[in-house]
Amino acid sequence: MARLIRTEKEVEGRYEEVWLVVEEDVLEQWPAGAREIVGRPATRIDGLERARGEAVYTADLKLPGMLHTAVLRSPYAHARVARIDLAPALTMPGVHAAIGPGELDVLVEECGFHGAAIAAVCADTYAQARAALSRVEVDFEQLEVLIDPDEAVARGQLLGEPRVRERGDLDRGLAEADVVVMGEYTTQVVLHNSMETHQAVVQWLGDSLEVFISTQYIWGVRDEIASTLGLPGDKVRVVCNYMGGGFGSKNGADDYTFIAIELAKRTRRPVRCALTRREENLATGNRNATIQRLTIGARADGTLTALGGEYVNATGWGGWSSPVEGPMQMLYACENVKTTTWAAKINQPPMKAFRAPGFVEGTFGLESLLDVLAAKLDIDPLDLRRRNHAQHDGADGRPYSGKNLLECYRRAEPHWERRHEVRARSTGTVKRGVGMASQIWYGGGGPPSYAWVRVGSDGRAAVVTAMQDLGTGTRTAMAQIAAEELGIPLDHVTVSLGDSARGPFASISAGSSTTPSMGPAVRAAAADARRQIEEIAAQRGTPDAPLAEIVGLLEDAQILGKGGRGPNPTGMQVLTFGVQVAEVAVDIETGEVWVDRIAAVHDVGRVINPLGASSQIEGGIIQGIGHTLSEHRLHDPRTGQILTTSLDAYKLPTFADVPVIVSELIDEPDAQLTNLGSKGLGEPPIIPTAAAISNAIRDATGAEVHQLPISREEMLRALREAAAREKVGAPAGV
Amino acid sequence: MPLLRSGIVRAETLVDIRGVVPRGIDGASIGAGTTLAELECAPQIPDVLREACRLAASPQLRNMGSLGGNLLQSTRCWYWRLKWPCRLHGGDECFAHEGEHREHAIFENGFCASAHPSDVAAALVALDATLHTNRRELPVSDLYHLPRADDRRTTTLEPGELLLSVELPPAERSVYLKAMERKLWAFPLVGVAAARTGGVTRVALAGVAPVPFLLQGSLEDATPLPRNAYKVDVARALVKRALAALEEST
Amino acid sequence: MPTSRRSPLLRLEVNDHVYELHAEVGTTLAEALRDDLALTGTKVACAEGHCGSCTVLVDGVPTLSCITLVHSVADAKVTTIEGLRDHQMVHAFVREDALQCGFCTPGQIVSAVALVGATPKPSTDEIRHAMAGNLCRCGAYPKIEEAIRTWQD
Repeated sequence: MARLIRTEKEVEGRYEEVWLVVEEDVLEQWPAGAREIVGRPATRIDGLERARGEAVYTADLKLPGMLHTAVLRSPYAHARVARIDLAPALTMPGVHAAIGPGELDVLVEECGFHGAAIAAVCADTYAQARAALSRVEVDFEQLEVLIDPDEAVARGQLLGEPRVRERGDLDRGLAEADVVVMGEYTTQVVLHNSMETHQAVVQWLGDSLEVFISTQYIWGVRDEIASTLGLPGDKVRVVCNYMGGGFGSKNGADDYTFIAIELAKRTRRPVRCALTRREENLATGNRNATIQRLTIGARADGTLTALGGEYVNATGWGGWSSPVEGPMQMLYACENVKTTTWAAKINQPPMKAFRAPGFVEGTFGLESLLDVLAAKLDIDPLDLRRRNHAQHDGADGRPYSGKNLLECYRRAEPHWERRHEVRARSTGTVKRGVGMASQIWYGGGGPPSYAWVRVGSDGRAAVVTAMQDLGTGTRTAMAQIAAEELGIPLDHVTVSLGDSARGPFASISAGSSTTPSMGPAVRAAAADARRQIEEIAAQRGTPDAPLAEIVGLLEDAQILGKGGRGPNPTGMQVLTFGVQVAEVAVDIETGEVWVDRIAAVHDVGRVINPLGASSQIEGGIIQGIGHTLSEHRLHDPRTGQILTTSLDAYKLPTFADVPVIVSELIDEPDAQLTNLGSKGLGEPPIIPTAAAISNAIRDATGAEVHQLPISREEMLRALREAAAREKVGAPAGV
Repeated sequence: MPLLRSGIVRAETLVDIRGVVPRGIDGASIGAGTTLAELECAPQIPDVLREACRLAASPQLRNMGSLGGNLLQSTRCWYWRLKWPCRLHGGDECFAHEGEHREHAIFENGFCASAHPSDVAAALVALDATLHTNRRELPVSDLYHLPRADDRRTTTLEPGELLLSVELPPAERSVYLKAMERKLWAFPLVGVAAARTGGVTRVALAGVAPVPFLLQGSLEDATPLPRNAYKVDVARALVKRALAALEEST
Repeated sequence: MPTSRRSPLLRLEVNDHVYELHAEVGTTLAEALRDDLALTGTKVACAEGHCGSCTVLVDGVPTLSCITLVHSVADAKVTTIEGLRDHQMVHAFVREDALQCGFCTPGQIVSAVALVGATPKPSTDEIRHAMAGNLCRCGAYPKIEEAIRTWQD
C-alpha cells in the first residue's frame, strides 16, 4: 500500500527534504549468503546481442527520412555573437533547416566556454550539414576570459554561495594536536569520454514526441523535455534500450536533444543530433579540477583532533559544486571539522557528475595527507585509519544502517602485509612500494521506483520497468532477483526496459543507485506475482505445486505482479565503505610509474551478481588509474580554449596500463535497507584508487605527489623535492 | 586522412600510390610501402628500427601505416592540429611558447616548439639510413627541414616526389627506448634511438625537436620551456640506458 | 540516396557476400558498412583512428574502418563482427563477462579473433600488445584478457 512520508533524498551527496509517496516494503530480507540465483555469478542476459553487434544503440538507429545535424560551437572561451547569418547555410545542398541564438534556449549569444552551442543545421547527410555549417557567417566579440579558479574566488565570481560545514571548533582541535600537517593538493579536469557519444534521434508523431537517446535517466529526460515544451509527460516517449556508457555525463536531455526536437518540429522529419568525439571532449561535462588546502591535527597516539579543508571547485561556466569535502566530513571520527567549498565560475566547460563526483578528488587529498601524518607520527597507516574509525555519522550523530569498514580493513591485511616483500624487490632505479586508502560514499538509492512482473502459462516471467542499463549489467541483476523470488531458472526471465511508454517510473542510473533502488521494486513485483500464484495453488488444493504446474493452467490468462521501492530507514546514514591497497613501481630517473597490483575490498551490502560486481570493481579501478596517471584535459592558459579534443591527446588507459586486480566484497546484507539489503557498487571502486597509488609512491620513494595526474613532470618534481628534504633533514609534509 | 577530414590539409585529388611504392624487405633495402606491422616482426632488420615500429602507434595503425607515411607524419602539436594561426600555419606566433607545452620541443624550439612524433624517423636517423625517392638519394636526416621564418616546411620533399625505399647500413648494435604518457599507444614524450654502425655510435631523439633530432652536442644544451624541462631528465636517463645497452652487447 | 553521392558502382566483399554500392570518393569503409550495407555491428566511437571501436578485418588484418577509404578495399575481403557471430570468441566474451556497455566490444572481438588466428595461445604480453589499440572506457580489460586466454574452452 502506498503511503506519504517526509524523508531525505540523496543523489551523489546532495540531500533534499521531500514528501514522498512510497510503497510499503513488507518482504523479509533473504538470509545472508548466496541463494539459488541471487549471489551467484551470472553472465549477462544481453551479452550475446552486445557481443555480436546486434544490440541497437541510439547511434545505430536510422528512421525513414531522418535528417542529420551539425552544431556550431563557440571556438572561444568567452565571446559574444555580434552578428550571425544563417542564410548562406540554408542555400547549401541537402539542407532543411537552420537555427541560431534566440530561437532555442540552448543556443546562446554569450558563450561562456569553448564549445557552447550557438547554431545548428540539419541536412540529408551529416557531411552536408557540416559543409553548410561552415557557411554560417558569424562575428564574435571576444570578452575577458577568467580561467584561474583562485582568482574567480577572490573576485567573488562563484556559482552559489560558498558551502561551509562545521562541527566542533577547528582552532581548538588544532591547539589540542601534538602534530599538525598541511598540504595543498590539486586535481585535473577529467572527461567521461563514453564510447557512444551523446546523441538523440527525435521524431514528432502529431503532438507527441519520440526521443531515442543514450541516457542514464529516461524519466528525467522525459520530464525535462515535457516541462520545457509544456507538454503532458505522456506525450513524450523516451527510449534507451542499449547505451554505450555514461559515467554520470548522460543524466539530462542537454543541448543536442533540444536542438533535434526543434529541428524535427520545423522540418516535420525525424532528426538525429549526434555529437562528434571532438564535441564530446568539449561540451558534455567533466570532472572539474579542484584545489584542496588541507590541515590535519592529531595527538601523538594518532587520534584526529582537527580536520580543516578549503576547497575550490573549478566548476566551469555552469554546473554544481561537487561534494569534494565529503570524505573529510565523513570518513573519520573527529570532533573538530571545518570545510569551506567554493564553486568558481570560470570560462571553462561546465562540470557534470562523473562517477563519485567530489569524493574521488577529495579522497586523493585527504588520504594522501593522512599518510604524511602517519609517517610523522610513525604509526602504521592502516592502524591510523583503524584508530579513527567512525562509529556513527560525525556531522549529525546518526547511526549507519550498516558498516563493515573494519572488516574490510581486516580482509585487506594480507595485501597490506605484502609491502615488506614488495619494497625488497626495489632496485637502484626502480623503487617499489605499497599504499592504501579508504573509501566512503553513498549508494543506498531510494524511492520511488516501480516494476511489473508478468508470468504466463509457459512458466516464464517478464520484468517490465522503464529503467536503463548503461552497461553495468542491471538487466541481468534484475532478472536474477525476479528468478530467485519466483523460483524459476534465470533463462526463464526476460527484462523489458528502456522505454517510458512501456513500463513504470524507474530510478536514475547514477549515484550507485540502480540496484538498491530498482532491485527491491523488482523483488516486490515478483513476490506479488508469486503470492497470486500461491493463492491459485491453494484454491486448487495443491499449495505446494511447482510454479510451472500452476501457471500451466492459465492459457491466455496472465499473472501480473507490481512492486515499488520502499523507504530508506529513517534517521540512518546509508553508506558504502571500502579499502584499496596498491602496489607500484617508480623509475626514479624517468618518472615512470607502474601500477602492478590493486587489491580492493568493498562493503556494499548484499551482492546480487558476483561476476558483474567484479567487473564493476575492475572498471572503476581502471578509470581510477587513468585519472591518476594519464588523463588530463588541457586548455590554453591564456585563452581558455581546450587543446585536448581527441583520443590520441586525451589518454584513456589501454590494455597495457592495467594491473593485477584482486577484488573482494563483504557481501553482508544491510539489515536496515529494503527487502534486499543491497547497495550500489558503480562508484565506490574508483574513489580510493588515486590515493592508494600516491601513498604507494610515497612508500616506494619518499616522494609526496600533490597533483593529479601524476605525470612524469609531477613525479620527477616530487622526487627532487624529497631528495632536497632529505639533504636538509627537514620533516615531511609541513 | 583525419587531417583531410578536419580540413587541416586540403586536396583536390587523392591518388592511390600503393601501386607504385615498393613494399617489402629486400636485403638492406626496405620498400617505403612496407607496413610498421611487417617491420616489427622482421628479424633481419636492426633492433632499433624493429623496436621503434613495435612501440609506435596502435596495432591497427601499424597494420595500416607504411614506413614512408610514418616518416612524413605531421606534428601532434595541439595548436597546429586545432588550426591556430601558428608559425607552421604561416602565422607569426608559436602559441606553445607561452601556452601549454608539456609535450613540446626542448631543442631547436625558438621559432616553432612543435615536437616531431616519429619513432621510426629517429631510428633511421640513428642508423644513418639512406632514402631513395623517385628523384634523388639522400640521408634520412636530410628529408627533414627545421621550420624557420623564410621556409616553414618540415620536410624537403618536393611536389610530385615520392619516398620509394630506405637503405640500411649494417648496424652492429642498436636500441630504441621510449617514454610515453601511457604504457602503449602514445606518441613519444621522448624517444631515444641509438645505433653503432662501423664503430660509430649515433643517438637520435624523437619528440624533442620540430624534426628528428640527431644528438651531436650535450643534452645539457637543451632549451626547455618552463613546463617541459622534465623531458631533459627523461632524455638523460634514456640516453644513458641506450648507450649502456650498446655497451652490453660487446 | 541523395544524387550528390552518385558515383561509379563499387564492388565490396564483406563476410563472404559481394555487395555493389555507389559511394562517393572519400567515403570511409565504416560509413559504407553502417550506412549503405546496414551492418551496424561495426561501431564508430571517434571517427579518427584513435580508439579501435570500428576495427574490421581486411584480408584478415585488423584495420580501422573509420579511416579507411572504401575504394581502397575494393579488391579485398572484409570481415566484420556480423561475419564472426558464431566464432568461439563471441561466446568467450559473454562467458567471461568481457563487456560492459558493449559499444567497443565488436571491435575488441575482431582484434581478438585476428590475434588468436595467428597465435592460438597468446601470452599476457602478446594479448596486451595486440589489443592496445582497442580502448574500453568501462575497463573490461581484465575480463577481455581472460576471454582471449580461454577462448577455446
